[in-house]
Amino acid sequence: MSTVRPPADKAKDRASIGLGVGTFLQGFVPGLLQYQSGHRARALVALGSCTALYFAGWSLVGDRLFHFSLVSSEPGGMWLPARIGIPMTLPEILNLPAHAIGSMLAFGSDNEAMRLWRLPRPLEDLGGFLTAASGMLAAFWSADGHWTRRWNRDAEDTVTAAPSCNPAFAAGVSWLLPGLGHAFAGQRSKGMLMGAAVALVFALGMIFSHGHGVDRAIASVWWIGEMLFGGGALFAALVTAPPAMTAMPENLELGTNLCTVAGLMNLVVMIDAFTVAERTSFPIARGESQGGFA
Amino acid sequence: MNLAFRLAIYLPVLFLIAVVVVGQQHVSARETIRDAVRRTGRWFLYTAAIVIAMVAIELLFID
Repeated sequence: MSTVRPPADKAKDRASIGLGVGTFLQGFVPGLLQYQSGHRARALVALGSCTALYFAGWSLVGDRLFHFSLVSSEPGGMWLPARIGIPMTLPEILNLPAHAIGSMLAFGSDNEAMRLWRLPRPLEDLGGFLTAASGMLAAFWSADGHWTRRWNRDAEDTVTAAPSCNPAFAAGVSWLLPGLGHAFAGQRSKGMLMGAAVALVFALGMIFSHGHGVDRAIASVWWIGEMLFGGGALFAALVTAPPAMTAMPENLELGTNLCTVAGLMNLVVMIDAFTVAERTSFPIARGESQGGFA
Repeated sequence: MNLAFRLAIYLPVLFLIAVVVVGQQHVSARETIRDAVRRTGRWFLYTAAIVIAMVAIELLFID
């Protein structure tokens, strides 16, 4: 004889399973999750905003973007995947459709194409920031899609209150200004403290590197981590990265390291902002694991 | 001198990282700071233990 379980337990079981790999992969196409949830206007805005942001950056940085890839885009090796739009350029790859089109528009295998990858361009710092920002925006739209699906699946059984704000929005604003998402989600003092910690570490890094610690052309791999603090990366793209480095700062690598640590710290802040907003609707019962790092 | 300078900034940065890490388990700034101080102390001890172990290994095997 089967045991009838209360709806709350069933919902808890589903929550522990998550939404699955399929939902995760669909998140790489901005707007797809919203479209499937029946929010067509929202889906259009998601796709349009990510594509517009990518090509706004693309118009400035162009082929040079592939100089920043994690893998070689030269003939042989990763050339074929790169040619069909799967170069490891982070975080642009999170905005897969626009980045695939950009790749196909850019790639050639001749010497002229390779010369273009290596040739610095005016405003390439801003262009590189904008294409990367499109990837981050796609990630936040994906988080919004996940949130909508979670709500549609579990809200009926478990939700006790509407969220203080959209969790994906809380994460997104924290990307630009660490801690702001917590303020929207209802934990203002903690948000200000965590945001100040991120900003201080980033500022220390900028001081030690004389402003050259956040420069995609100089240290593109470190920059991936630094980009997780969007406000700082934007400041660097506009103010500190464009002037040429005339002398090597004594503590350049320490500064670069600290700026990357600040970005990784902000990743934790963004995730926590999402979680704080989410838990206003899906609270965790006393005694259950609160998650986070031990 | 350079090493001393780096060590001098290590502790404050460790504290700032601890603020973000332990902040996930609290709802207010006051609780977060209190826990971050404890966590920084613990991490600092771990760091000291690792440094002592590395120096010992160097003295024993590399000289």
